[in-house]
Amino acid sequence: MKRIKAMLHGPMGALLQKELLETWRDRRALWMAICFSLLFPVMLAGGSIFMLKKHTEESTRLALLGADFAPLLADRLRSDSLQVDALEEGEPQTLLAGDYDLVLEVSEGFAGDYRNFEAPPLYLYIDSSASSSGRAERHLQERLGALQQLVVQQRVTARGLAPQLLAPWRLEVRDVSTPSRRGAMLLAAVPGLLILTLFVASLATSVDTSAGERERLSLETLLMQPLPGWQVVVAKTLAVASIGWVGALLAIAALVSLMPLMPLAELGIQQATTTAGVVTMGLLLLPLALLVAVVQILLALRSQSFKDAQTQLSILQVAPVMLLMVLDVSRVELEGFHWQLVPLVGQQQWLKTLLIGEPVPVLSLLAGSCVTLLLVAVAVRIGAGALRRENLLSAT
Amino acid sequence: MEWMQLPRTWLALLFAGLSPAVMAEAPSVGETCYLDGWHRPLLCHRLALTDAPERPELAVMVAPAVSETDEEPLYLLAGGPGQAASDLAPLLQALEPVNRQRDIVMVDRRGSGRSGAFRCDIDEQLSISLEEFAQGLAGCYLARPEFADSLSSRQTVDDLEMVRRALGHERVALWGGSWGTRTALLYQQWYPESLSELVLDAVAPIETKVFLTAQAAEKALRKLERDCSRDPACARLGDWREQLDQLLAEWDSGAAHPIPDPLTGQPAAKPMARWELANGIRAMLYDPVAAAQLPFAVTQASRGNFAPLAGLSGAFIHAADSMAMGLTFSVACAEELNRITAAEVAADSRDSFLGTAFYDLFRRGCDEWPVREKPYREPAPRDHPVLLISGEADPITPPRYAEEALDYLEDKQHLVVAGGGHINSRRGCIPRLIADFLAEPSSKLDVSCIDSIRRPPFMAAEFGPDLGAVGEMKPGEGAQ
Repeated sequence: MKRIKAMLHGPMGALLQKELLETWRDRRALWMAICFSLLFPVMLAGGSIFMLKKHTEESTRLALLGADFAPLLADRLRSDSLQVDALEEGEPQTLLAGDYDLVLEVSEGFAGDYRNFEAPPLYLYIDSSASSSGRAERHLQERLGALQQLVVQQRVTARGLAPQLLAPWRLEVRDVSTPSRRGAMLLAAVPGLLILTLFVASLATSVDTSAGERERLSLETLLMQPLPGWQVVVAKTLAVASIGWVGALLAIAALVSLMPLMPLAELGIQQATTTAGVVTMGLLLLPLALLVAVVQILLALRSQSFKDAQTQLSILQVAPVMLLMVLDVSRVELEGFHWQLVPLVGQQQWLKTLLIGEPVPVLSLLAGSCVTLLLVAVAVRIGAGALRRENLLSAT
Repeated sequence: MEWMQLPRTWLALLFAGLSPAVMAEAPSVGETCYLDGWHRPLLCHRLALTDAPERPELAVMVAPAVSETDEEPLYLLAGGPGQAASDLAPLLQALEPVNRQRDIVMVDRRGSGRSGAFRCDIDEQLSISLEEFAQGLAGCYLARPEFADSLSSRQTVDDLEMVRRALGHERVALWGGSWGTRTALLYQQWYPESLSELVLDAVAPIETKVFLTAQAAEKALRKLERDCSRDPACARLGDWREQLDQLLAEWDSGAAHPIPDPLTGQPAAKPMARWELANGIRAMLYDPVAAAQLPFAVTQASRGNFAPLAGLSGAFIHAADSMAMGLTFSVACAEELNRITAAEVAADSRDSFLGTAFYDLFRRGCDEWPVREKPYREPAPRDHPVLLISGEADPITPPRYAEEALDYLEDKQHLVVAGGGHINSRRGCIPRLIADFLAEPSSKLDVSCIDSIRRPPFMAAEFGPDLGAVGEMKPGEGAQ
């Protein structure tokens, strides 16, 4: 403790102060961090509100051709979600290209064939390339299905049979999910996005503090100071990680405060994230923020130029998120203890659990975080070694 | 299924019009459980009762709110008397918007469902004769006379209050269906402080003698006649009402006919009795889907084809499973039949297709079920917000009851569903109106949407509804 104190009062303290000042003074980098941190929570909230509105409020417009051949059909198909317009004539293709989602055609002689039990056809024109096609067809099938069931029931009854003869069993569905767990689907992308936030928020700073300083030739001056290389790397890492971490914290805060606005209850989801969970989410991202920062700095240092550093880091920010997505879709069982030790995977799993209000095993959280911190130490050591090499400074 | 077994069907349909659920294994305290008719997990509790020598347990089932809020929970009170609240699980689908913010609680009252259902198991012995039915009941009563006498609305309401306290609910909202509305109205009288608001569907007011049902059934049939005459396809069936009266009048003098079993198709050995036929017709009026087929079935029966009538009866076969007949008679005899006079029976049955057919069943049953009278006091004024829902063509709790017998309620709104039968909470926009009412009980509801709830299409012939006929259209009408 005393050593750290002494270090902070010495040249290392001054260096850290310089790095933090440069990091937080860079307004462009700061704005980028803030914007990205707020972007995805806002998009997630807005998206879910919009989706539900679309799902519940949008009604289907059906053009019914030949309605006069089956007036009762036209009358009984109407519902809140199905608007039926009886048209005397029209070309299905033109109607579908216009305002209508579906065109249903009743042919002449329909009613007579129906009365004679000849199962007359109904022609349904759809445009499967239209985005509303599936929903529209579902709306119609719901109404048509109910009407069909009623007709069948009446026909069976008329012959002296109980309608339940048509249902040899009753399938009772029993959903074992809980309201908080149902949130997992909607919030599935959140851990990955939070991790991405770490990368994006610290990208500009990490390039600037390494490749940038090298191009501005201030890195040389810095290395001439009587400071061990690892202290330089640590100071830069702390400064870069601070902005990445604050960005992620901002994203968590925005997400949690937007949750009450999201139509979670309508989707059968309970907002279960607890205050302790939110604090833990913030804390567990800190070691990862350090790892992301130090890896970004190392990559930027070994790049050929400022631009090259930007390119490399842009690829780096996408790679881990892609990796997490691939692991998710490949249905690898990520819940085992050994997976919790892998940086990124561990954090993703813990965030996932905390978002739905469930506790994370402390042991795996601590062990996983220690592994991440160990990797940070290794990276710092590599970085310190790299700074000693003269060719590092000659790269342009 | 033979027609001789039908009395149990009608008993089931006296009040409740909701789908029954099958009994499952009873869960232990606070366990996750399921009820047929609802797919989400519930929390089941068993609360021990210490006031009876048998130390019974009350089954309490809670559908937890999706979001944790401090909104009052909604308790569902079942009909009958004799239906179990756990049979109301299918209603949870319609009440899903309510369930987002509020727990929904179902308590099987003592003697029903999972709280020690008082069944009489006389179904198998059930005979065509009213006398034999009464004898079966007598045996059931004599097996547990003290228990039969202990069951009452007062006890149910006290139990509900006990459950409310045990679950830590400060105040509760109540949904009552049919006889459940009576229980809710009594709860309101006895524990007004525990109550926030009431939703009452198919209202049985405290002072109304709901077992006098002949006039209500007659009016429901006339509403069916009116709506049929306005429908071109149904109107073509002719004067089916006259044919029905004729069939009933001549039944005992030669028109009686054995009816095939609607499940197996086997012919019955004997024709049913006239009172059974009349009660069967009455039962069909509960459900607009069945009622829409009645005119055709009657015209066919008058021509000697009883198949449609048999098919119609089939829809109700399993409705009886949920009724605990012992509980039904314990409450009905002590709280309803005791206060009906002969003059009232005569006035009610006059000029009706049903006559005393329904009353006789209970009168004769109550003779063999000698429980003490348990009269109510005159209701005192109450100011809780109340939403009343009635079906215009309900054969047992017509809108008139809610309009005329609830003057003591100061804050009430009444929805009347045109052509509606018994229990309408699941139809059209009514689930949304219930949710709106519970969210803002003091606001006046915009009830215009109930105009779009209509009767299903009438059966026109063997092919079903006539799709080629023009349906009755009113301006601005939507589908059912």
